[in-house]
Amino acid sequence: MNKLTDKFIWKSLKDGDLKAFSVLFETYYPLLHNYGLKISKNIAVTEDSLQDFFIYIYEKRENLSDLETIAPYLFTSYRRFLLNIMKKNAKLKYVDFSEETITDIEFTKEELMTNQEAESFRNKNLSKLLNKLPARQKEAVYLKYYTGLKAREIAEIMNINYQSVVNTLHKAIKNLKEEVSILKLFK
Amino acid sequence: MIKKEYNNILDFLEDSSFKNWAEQNNATDINYWEYWIANNPEKQELVTKAKDLALGLSFNKDFVSSDKVNLEWTKFETKIKNKKTVSKRKLRYLKPLSIAASIALLITFGFYFFTQNTKIIHKTSYGEILNIKLLDGSNVTLNSNSSLSYYKNESRKVWLKGEAFFQVDKKLATNAKFWVLTNDLSVEVYGTSFNVNSNKEKTAVFLQEGSVWLDFKNGGDKKMVPGNYISYSSVKSEILESKNITNAILQTSWKDGTLLFENLSLEKAMSIIEQTYGYAIVFKDLESKNTIITGAVPNTNLDICIKAIEKSVDVKIIKKENKLIISKK
Repeated sequence: MNKLTDKFIWKSLKDGDLKAFSVLFETYYPLLHNYGLKISKNIAVTEDSLQDFFIYIYEKRENLSDLETIAPYLFTSYRRFLLNIMKKNAKLKYVDFSEETITDIEFTKEELMTNQEAESFRNKNLSKLLNKLPARQKEAVYLKYYTGLKAREIAEIMNINYQSVVNTLHKAIKNLKEEVSILKLFK
Repeated sequence: MIKKEYNNILDFLEDSSFKNWAEQNNATDINYWEYWIANNPEKQELVTKAKDLALGLSFNKDFVSSDKVNLEWTKFETKIKNKKTVSKRKLRYLKPLSIAASIALLITFGFYFFTQNTKIIHKTSYGEILNIKLLDGSNVTLNSNSSLSYYKNESRKVWLKGEAFFQVDKKLATNAKFWVLTNDLSVEVYGTSFNVNSNKEKTAVFLQEGSVWLDFKNGGDKKMVPGNYISYSSVKSEILESKNITNAILQTSWKDGTLLFENLSLEKAMSIIEQTYGYAIVFKDLESKNTIITGAVPNTNLDICIKAIEKSVDVKIIKKENKLIISKK
């Protein structure tokens, strides 16, 4: 979505414009739904938390600060929102909760195309290899190539600078490449 | 978009021609980059890295369906509407105060309107197309026999009679909403390009890009997504047509000076000609009425337009007074 349109939608939303809110909802619901599933691995938790999250945003719209781009704000605040809910749930069940392990994104076999654009990635076990990467690298890969966010937006979400996003992504791709080529040796 | 200096990985990644080369998409870019790489061997490592990142990984994205999103939206809407009625009850005692405030506001605004308001009207005659740049930077192409008016202090609210294509400036879309009003409906714009065609019977809106809401005269509303074509009549108080148009150019070609007909009966095509040039159409026989026409004709030159039609279908067109008389050859 266009950045300038973002700014406009955000402003209309702050003025209580329900139509602007529906534009926002339609754009970000699918992305956040997927993101929520990746983190919570539970559909009910994801969908309930998303409803509550959007209501939370709507109700405090007047106190929201002005934004140039919406995505980073929504992703970070939704993650925080979701983790809080998961923390509460874990307490109820006396489960040990650590953010590190729980925010670890996992990719399914079906999500990874076997026919990759880059030839070196055409591998049946790509999802396994990708899931083995460090959490930060996976998150960068997810936000960039799955969600389609821009590097600047990812930088905000991951709270690192632009150059680090590129470096992290590159490390991920490089690691993957090496893993794939090692795997090919044993074929 | 070819830059001269490529010193770090971002310089490559931000260059669309580089991405085209990485994906082997565009012959010119492929040639350019192959030449460039051959001549800059010291950048080979950077190029490889940047190519890896540009290609990245491709996913089968598993997002929820739009039906699901709509369902969730309805849930959400119901929830906040219920909450609203509760808070309204609490605030009832504030009502007299707010009425007084709105009266004061009305008086102030009324005064403002009296002193400030100059109405600006743009009008076109038959066979004329006008490009207008509004004060806020938005572009409007006004079709023949149409008029567009607005108040100088409120240039983002325009009244339209006839047909116009709008490209609302996104840079300034942050200031205020853009509105197009016709006899049948109003279009509420969220930074976008679209076509509005209003005549006596109806108003038809085609959205090319972005997002708009239609607010109908009967109080209903509808959101449009790109490709949607909706026509509405306030007389009948109903939506006449709601469809998806994949070939946008058929809807918007008029602004570049051509009318495109695709498998249209000559009767329908000539009614568009009637709207454009203001000549009444008379068919001498049924057969020519039902002839199917496909092709492009100009909309600012009637003589060439007639010749083009005569050439593409087997009819003869005679221009007489204010009429076009059509008969089989």
